[in-house]
Amino acid sequence: MSPDWVEALPWTIVVPVVGAVLTPVVAARRPRLAGHWAWGVLIVASVLASGLVVQLAADGPFSYDVGGWAQPYGIELRFDHFSAWVLPLLLLFVVIVPFSWRYLDHVMPDERRPAFYALLLLNAGGMIGFCITGDFFNLFVFTEVVSLSSYALVAVGGRGLAAFAALKYLFIGAVSSLLMLFATAQLFALTGSLNMADVAGRLNEVGGGPAVMVAFAAYAVSFMVKTAMFPVHVWLPDAHAIAPSPVSAVLSGMVVKVGIIGMLRVYQVFFAADVLELGAFNQTLVWFGAISIVMGAFFAIFQDDIKLMLAYSTISNIGYIVLGLGLASPYAVIGASVHVFNHALIKATLFLAAGAIIHQTGLRTLSDLRGIARRMPQTSAAMAIGAVSIVGLPPTAGFVCKWYIALGAFESGQAPFGFALVFGALFIFIYYVRMLNAFYFQEPVHDVVIEAREAPWSMRVPVIVLATLCLVLGVLGGIPLAFVEPAVLDLLPFWGS
Amino acid sequence: MLLFGLDLDYVLVVVLFCVGLYMLVSKSNLLKKLLGLNVMETAVFAFIVTSGMVEGGDPPILVTGTAAPYVSPIPHAMVLTGIVVAVSVTAVALALIVQIHAHFGTIEVDELKELP
Repeated sequence: MSPDWVEALPWTIVVPVVGAVLTPVVAARRPRLAGHWAWGVLIVASVLASGLVVQLAADGPFSYDVGGWAQPYGIELRFDHFSAWVLPLLLLFVVIVPFSWRYLDHVMPDERRPAFYALLLLNAGGMIGFCITGDFFNLFVFTEVVSLSSYALVAVGGRGLAAFAALKYLFIGAVSSLLMLFATAQLFALTGSLNMADVAGRLNEVGGGPAVMVAFAAYAVSFMVKTAMFPVHVWLPDAHAIAPSPVSAVLSGMVVKVGIIGMLRVYQVFFAADVLELGAFNQTLVWFGAISIVMGAFFAIFQDDIKLMLAYSTISNIGYIVLGLGLASPYAVIGASVHVFNHALIKATLFLAAGAIIHQTGLRTLSDLRGIARRMPQTSAAMAIGAVSIVGLPPTAGFVCKWYIALGAFESGQAPFGFALVFGALFIFIYYVRMLNAFYFQEPVHDVVIEAREAPWSMRVPVIVLATLCLVLGVLGGIPLAFVEPAVLDLLPFWGS
Repeated sequence: MLLFGLDLDYVLVVVLFCVGLYMLVSKSNLLKKLLGLNVMETAVFAFIVTSGMVEGGDPPILVTGTAAPYVSPIPHAMVLTGIVVAVSVTAVALALIVQIHAHFGTIEVDELKELP
């Protein structure tokens, strides 16, 4: 009999959130302690999360009633195969935080560190809550915890421009959150319940109709904004590029995935309720996904700033995930679910490596950074592995998922989208080749680059660990695929309808 | 109350929402944009409260003298939480606007865009 981890479910939220509140207290006298404290808190949370995943693997999904209020009246926390994303999410945080210890030296004065780490912990806690809640209103609350801490994190390092980017992000993000609240209220007005499983059952009794359609559409639009799909991506590039690099890694890798997880949750409910004809919606997702892939990659080609380029590449990778979900065939959906994690890993590698280079040289454009690979060989190698991985070449983490999504396109008889995917990968290849060409094969133009030194160990180790993982997950790509497969196959009978 | 066959409450909520959206999109002043956002939030809160209303309902408190039908209490709890969230969003937005003003000396979007 495995130990019972159900009781640990609320603690995975409580630990980071309380840890966040305590950060300024713990670090009151020594602000630099805040980073180590945050790291410790995240490690504790990861241990709890791994316990949950072990239990999930042994016994299947389980749930916890908050405050002892029975479902469907109380708030339900539910841990299923999609919630298992909290473990890799926390582990990525555990790698990213040590990187930020030294990185922040140039970004902010010491006395602002406690606030920075408190926000980071709050962000992690919000995302964990988002992934494991089984209640629609709770989903909204955690979205806002994630969003608010993200707005603040964008602005935390810089002054005027960062604040402007953060405010732009805030206005668009707040409208999308409002739509989500509206959709929740609409569902509550229709069914009188907020619990996801309960709403699904009651919706089935209520039947379809324009009111249900409006609720679904509001959720869909809200999550599309949160994931930054092509027509509503305008907030992303500035916000992600201007934030300090560890924050960019968190935002680009994980916070945009909130929209994907949310979409999966809403899908689960509406497919279980079986009241809407969602084939048309899938088709919309496929088109938006394909357009995002191509347009994101297209814009990235013209960027000279490496972080802006990485930010645009996030848009095209989100396109891959959305395309995979919309194709609604087993291969595609499994590939898309795993890409949620693999993209986070790859993007963290790239943003941290870019951050290390920016930290060492103070330069951030491709034309200034020519020839940097001679002086920073390890960081540049990590960057190269990340680049190969995000293009989707074997044997790296990016290949596995993109291959599955492409297989799915052919499997579901929508081969043109398979070609869109390959075409997009070609675009992505072009701009990463540009980057590698500048780093490796061009003569340095700046003295700073000629005299640059390899990043300090506390920054180099996280980058190397992440790059190694990109390779390892390329070779052992079958493990996460096999893990999400039962959950996806569970969902799919409703899906294709 | 019905207006042209539509529930007047819902019509007002939609109008309020659109007014807020118009302010958010069309105004150049960041503070006015924020006010627009707040108007939109109010519209959604009004919608939630309205959806909990029961014609001739009693407060859902079990003391002598109240009888079914009861008014649903959950929307009120939702709106309270929503207000807390809205206040936090407003606070963060105001802090950012203060920082923008301190740095650029203006909070007009068209002037901010012309800056290098």
